[in-house]
Amino acid sequence: MIVRCISWLRSHYGMVRKSFCALLALLVVGDLLVPRHHPHFLGDEIPGFWALFGFLACALIIIASKWLGHAWLFRPEDYYDAKGKE
Amino acid sequence: MGNTFFLHPSLLFFVVLPVIPWLKGIWRQAVVLLVPLLAFTLVLGMHPGIYGTVNINGLSLVFGRVDKLALVFANVFALMSFIGAIYGLHVKEPWQQVAAMGYVGSALGCVFAGDFLTLFLFWEGLMVFSSALVFLRKTRSSSRAGYRYFLVHVAGGLLLLGGIFLHYHQSGSIAFVRFDQESAGLAQYLILAGFLLNAAVPPLHAWLPDAYGSATVVGSVFMCAYTTKTAVYALIRSFPGFEILIVLGVIMALYGVVYAVLENDARRLLSYHIISQVGYMVTGVGIGTALSLNGACAHAYAHILYKALLFMGVGGVLEVTGRSRFSELGGLWKYMPYTFVFTLIGGLSISAFPLFSGFVSKSMVISGAWASHLQWAALGLTLASAGTFLHTGLKVPYFIWFWRDEPSFSPPEKEAPLNMLIAMALASYYCILIGINPSGLYKMLPFDATYHPYSGAHVMASLQILLFTMLGFFLLIKKLYPEPKVGLDLDWFYRRGASWFMAFCRNVLRMLDEQVIKNLHKTLALPLLRGLARLSAWNDERVIDGFVDNSAAAVLRLGDHMRVFLQPGILSRYVARTLTVLAGIILLALYLR
Repeated sequence: MIVRCISWLRSHYGMVRKSFCALLALLVVGDLLVPRHHPHFLGDEIPGFWALFGFLACALIIIASKWLGHAWLFRPEDYYDAKGKE
Repeated sequence: MGNTFFLHPSLLFFVVLPVIPWLKGIWRQAVVLLVPLLAFTLVLGMHPGIYGTVNINGLSLVFGRVDKLALVFANVFALMSFIGAIYGLHVKEPWQQVAAMGYVGSALGCVFAGDFLTLFLFWEGLMVFSSALVFLRKTRSSSRAGYRYFLVHVAGGLLLLGGIFLHYHQSGSIAFVRFDQESAGLAQYLILAGFLLNAAVPPLHAWLPDAYGSATVVGSVFMCAYTTKTAVYALIRSFPGFEILIVLGVIMALYGVVYAVLENDARRLLSYHIISQVGYMVTGVGIGTALSLNGACAHAYAHILYKALLFMGVGGVLEVTGRSRFSELGGLWKYMPYTFVFTLIGGLSISAFPLFSGFVSKSMVISGAWASHLQWAALGLTLASAGTFLHTGLKVPYFIWFWRDEPSFSPPEKEAPLNMLIAMALASYYCILIGINPSGLYKMLPFDATYHPYSGAHVMASLQILLFTMLGFFLLIKKLYPEPKVGLDLDWFYRRGASWFMAFCRNVLRMLDEQVIKNLHKTLALPLLRGLARLSAWNDERVIDGFVDNSAAAVLRLGDHMRVFLQPGILSRYVARTLTVLAGIILLALYLR
């Protein structure tokens, strides 16, 4: 059953993508209507702030980490094994 | 002893420990399942109080301090041991089950410990049994990782023990209670360092991905639940409100996220996310308000279940396919759909999706930070939670089950074993149950603070963050394609450091030995020794021998004189001497009368 669901979703890729975009838009629009009881800081009062935050956070994490990896941290997988024995 | 009945749940685990290897088949399975169930029932029926106090040389060891804080951890530890036992039921050889039982027993022992010595005893138990779970993978790399894990934890245990001794020396008390930030000194900070090492707080964290990525499939499911969360418990108990923990916690939460991007091995990725998640708890402890401490407890509870679920899912894939690297996986959706769904539930829970368990626990910590006006901490944690969804909610399922249309190896014929699926289903059930109905969890929380996660604004904000993270994931997915690399981490210092140390011994020390020491020996030490030997030979020959010879000659001469004088061989002289002596005796006797 699960396999059938997934393959149906995969075959209707365009529709899935459109409905995902619609959901995103709905979230931002919906944010205008939600009552705000205890805003903790400025961002809580701007509609769509957290959407922007989420997107930028994701981009920042991916780009910054990958840059760090390529600039400095990445080593081949057998790094420790190769250096361990002489 | 108190009035009420108390049986220490650790006792159950330790009692069956020696029995398990002798049991076969269904009997062993029955014992392995029954003991956690029994322990869970015991924990549910416990009443707060102090039990099991033992006096040794004036020190009172408390084995059973039961209060709400201990109970919430004991509850999830016992529950997890049952789920883990189901997950490991198919394992044929008994030693993993033995190690897991001892491990759970030790964790429960830590939770109920009322003094530092008892805590330390079980703390070391955790180390011994969990390293067994690494060694039992029985590969070359896992035994190396096992040694590293063991040595790091020995060092951590020594920090803790040193702190305990110093603290006892200063205060005369070993009670496992709260410390004050103002009066904390070296002793308290040593204890804190011991705790932080087990909580995997950078820079004392590198053991975690190293060991959890190398342990057995069942072993890492157990390990991800107990060691770090026992440390979180200890921190809540002793160090609430220590401000340094806020900084460390936020760094931890982000550190784990960055490394998770770089990681190619699924279990190591999940390990980095343990560091990230424990960061929330450590931050909660550092803030130290009732709300944030409750948040730390609740998050530990939820975290144990969903992280175990994730390790179970990835472990199931490893069990079936023998692979855990993303670069080798992909395209399994047709072949392991149930494992996929359960792993996805775990991923949604850790990402704090509304209606899943992470949502009701993680947000408590973040709200605690907002409420204490620590905006940078709250924003840092929110940033980390976007990263959590990015990796555990999206990257793990996507690169294991999708990405490729078909696996790059011959596809598995079966799903994960049934007992594994049942364990995953049970953990999923709890993840969703806690998410839908958090009041059951909230009722167990030890501190007095009310919290309502499901407000419109909060749900809306969370959904925005999560779904726009998802958008970012799919837009930047090319950047995320797995690379068969390892990221350098701080274990570099002891992994490369060890080989440098060996090289130092091999090259520098040996060169020193061969060149310098050997020459010194030749030019200085040997002639000196020879001179001394000559001197003592001369002394022996001339002085000692002379003395001995002369005295021997003297004795000989004296003997000759005596012989000539006393034994002449003439009868008349003997008679005369005898009579003289007799007369002398008689005269003496007469005189004395």
